[in-house]
Amino acid sequence: MEPTTSTGGSKFAASGLVSADTGPLAPGARVVVDHVSRRFGHSEVLHDVSLVVAPGEMVALTGPSGAGKTTLLQLIGSLDRPTSGRIFVDQVSVGELTRPADFRRNAVGFVFQLHHLLPALTVRQNVELPMVAAHVHRRERAERAVGLLADVGLADRSDDLPSDLSGGERQRVAIARALANHPRLVLADEPTGALDSVASHNVWELLSKLRDRFGTTIIAASHDTTLAEHADRSLRMLDGRMIATAQEAELPVAERGE
Amino acid sequence: MTALAQALTSIRHRPGRAFLTALGTALGIGTIVALLAVSAGATQTAGQFIHLGRSELGLFQKDAADPTTSVLPESLITRLRRQPWVSDTMGLQLLVNKVPADPAAIVFGAKPNSFELERMVFTSGHALTTANPNQIVIGDELAPQLHAHVGDVLSVGHRHLRVVGIYHLGVTEQDSGAFVPLSTAQAISGHLGEVTSIVVKLAPGTRSSTAQRLIKQRYPGLLVIGDADEALRAGANGELIANVTNVIVVLALLIGAIGVMNTMLMSVVERRSEFALRSAVGWSGTQIAGLVLTEGLVVSILGAAIGIVIGSIGAILLVHALGAAAFVSPNVTGWVLGRALLIGILIGVLGGIYPAWRAAHVSPARALAQQ
Repeated sequence: MEPTTSTGGSKFAASGLVSADTGPLAPGARVVVDHVSRRFGHSEVLHDVSLVVAPGEMVALTGPSGAGKTTLLQLIGSLDRPTSGRIFVDQVSVGELTRPADFRRNAVGFVFQLHHLLPALTVRQNVELPMVAAHVHRRERAERAVGLLADVGLADRSDDLPSDLSGGERQRVAIARALANHPRLVLADEPTGALDSVASHNVWELLSKLRDRFGTTIIAASHDTTLAEHADRSLRMLDGRMIATAQEAELPVAERGE
Repeated sequence: MTALAQALTSIRHRPGRAFLTALGTALGIGTIVALLAVSAGATQTAGQFIHLGRSELGLFQKDAADPTTSVLPESLITRLRRQPWVSDTMGLQLLVNKVPADPAAIVFGAKPNSFELERMVFTSGHALTTANPNQIVIGDELAPQLHAHVGDVLSVGHRHLRVVGIYHLGVTEQDSGAFVPLSTAQAISGHLGEVTSIVVKLAPGTRSSTAQRLIKQRYPGLLVIGDADEALRAGANGELIANVTNVIVVLALLIGAIGVMNTMLMSVVERRSEFALRSAVGWSGTQIAGLVLTEGLVVSILGAAIGIVIGSIGAILLVHALGAAAFVSPNVTGWVLGRALLIGILIGVLGGIYPAWRAAHVSPARALAQQ
């Protein structure tokens, strides 16, 4: 599948796939992981991992627990720094950022296995959280949050508390939150880990659809084998190493950065 | 949502803990408010006391435990009156706890022809006379409390004095007290030829500061008081109250700050994943620290508000418990409230700094992975 590399806001609006309130998202980011290792004490969790993800591509990271999927996503999302090697998101070397929170706020959206919605806040307020960090005006925050909730099919639940939602609905809210600041990259770590098969399917469908609509680059880690059906490419990890697959080989050499 | 709105939401999510923390702060601030209000009331009383008869200066014995225990020679009154910068003088003998029917009432001993007594407006009866030492005039606020009327006999110390008049001066402490001839007061107190205090009216054109300097030079054993604050600090007891207030302010700050810090630290530990999530979605360390500090501030300001109410009520109970209600009215001034609020803010800031720092440094990678 060709990665979506839409760049203009007008295209999204014209497609009718983006609500006016949500607004256009930025084009997807190109991610380059260059010989990255991560060590915790004497334990090496990632060993010399390299990877290239094209803008607008949806990549599945699969593998058993302890394979290093979460660590790799955290490094790409600047939640952690590599022990060696470098990671670029577009032209930014994320391991060398002095203010990684600024990068996360503007460029990355996270979706976690546990939705991590704040229980005291309403669904809409949870979606607004990244926008609060970005000092988005209150009215615009509310409009954008309502639009995003409509995009994930929860327009009528904006004033509910997370405790009023099902697991699948909470994860959809988390996806809406991840898109709040129009990120170029969404990192999803086991987003269906706590969901049943139907809800899991719906979450993958939603992520895939949002990628198609907004052109956002998505890297998702999961045990769930159905993820591969929705992804452009599936990469398997084992014991902190990346294992190349046939699908990966299909990626042009230039795109892999080799 | 603003940081304040988010802080309020977090506090509403844990109302019991927030209330108990606020209550801890409130008790400390309540104590401070009560002491400050009583102190302000005492200052007001002292101010009215030293300015008896619109005099400028009050003279007391230096190093007395408090102004009521001062002892000065009566002869000093005449010597002072000879000074060109003095317009008039009046000797006062104070009798405290000498009216069995109302121990809080102060009885003033003064010569019947002194200037303060000439200002009295009598609602019944007449002024003191030099003819009979066993007479008393009582204030119109004390009279109803004692159910006393002109012609009644009132016990002061062991003397039985006849009420000859009921007066109004417009000064609470004196309208809640009584006046007797100076010689009678000296006899009751056992200080013949002595007075507690001398109040001085200055000659027109004389500066109070100049007069104070002259008196201190000529009579180094005298304490010269020109304003209410000096009066309150005059005696060892006043000094003690001021010091106790300062100690309690510091203790309240420490205990309140530790209470807020403890609560906020517990909150930060419990909410590690929340702060990690905020960090992951782009909140900077400063924004997270600001949120925690705001929560601490809101709780401590809430505590300060409760403390002001507790303190205002406590001050009234305190003066009654000390038997000082008749001559000290707690005075909850804007400055007292301002100081209480300032202390509340300080408690919130001091108690919130470390938890805020901890929250700002939660590692999102670790905290989220642990979940």
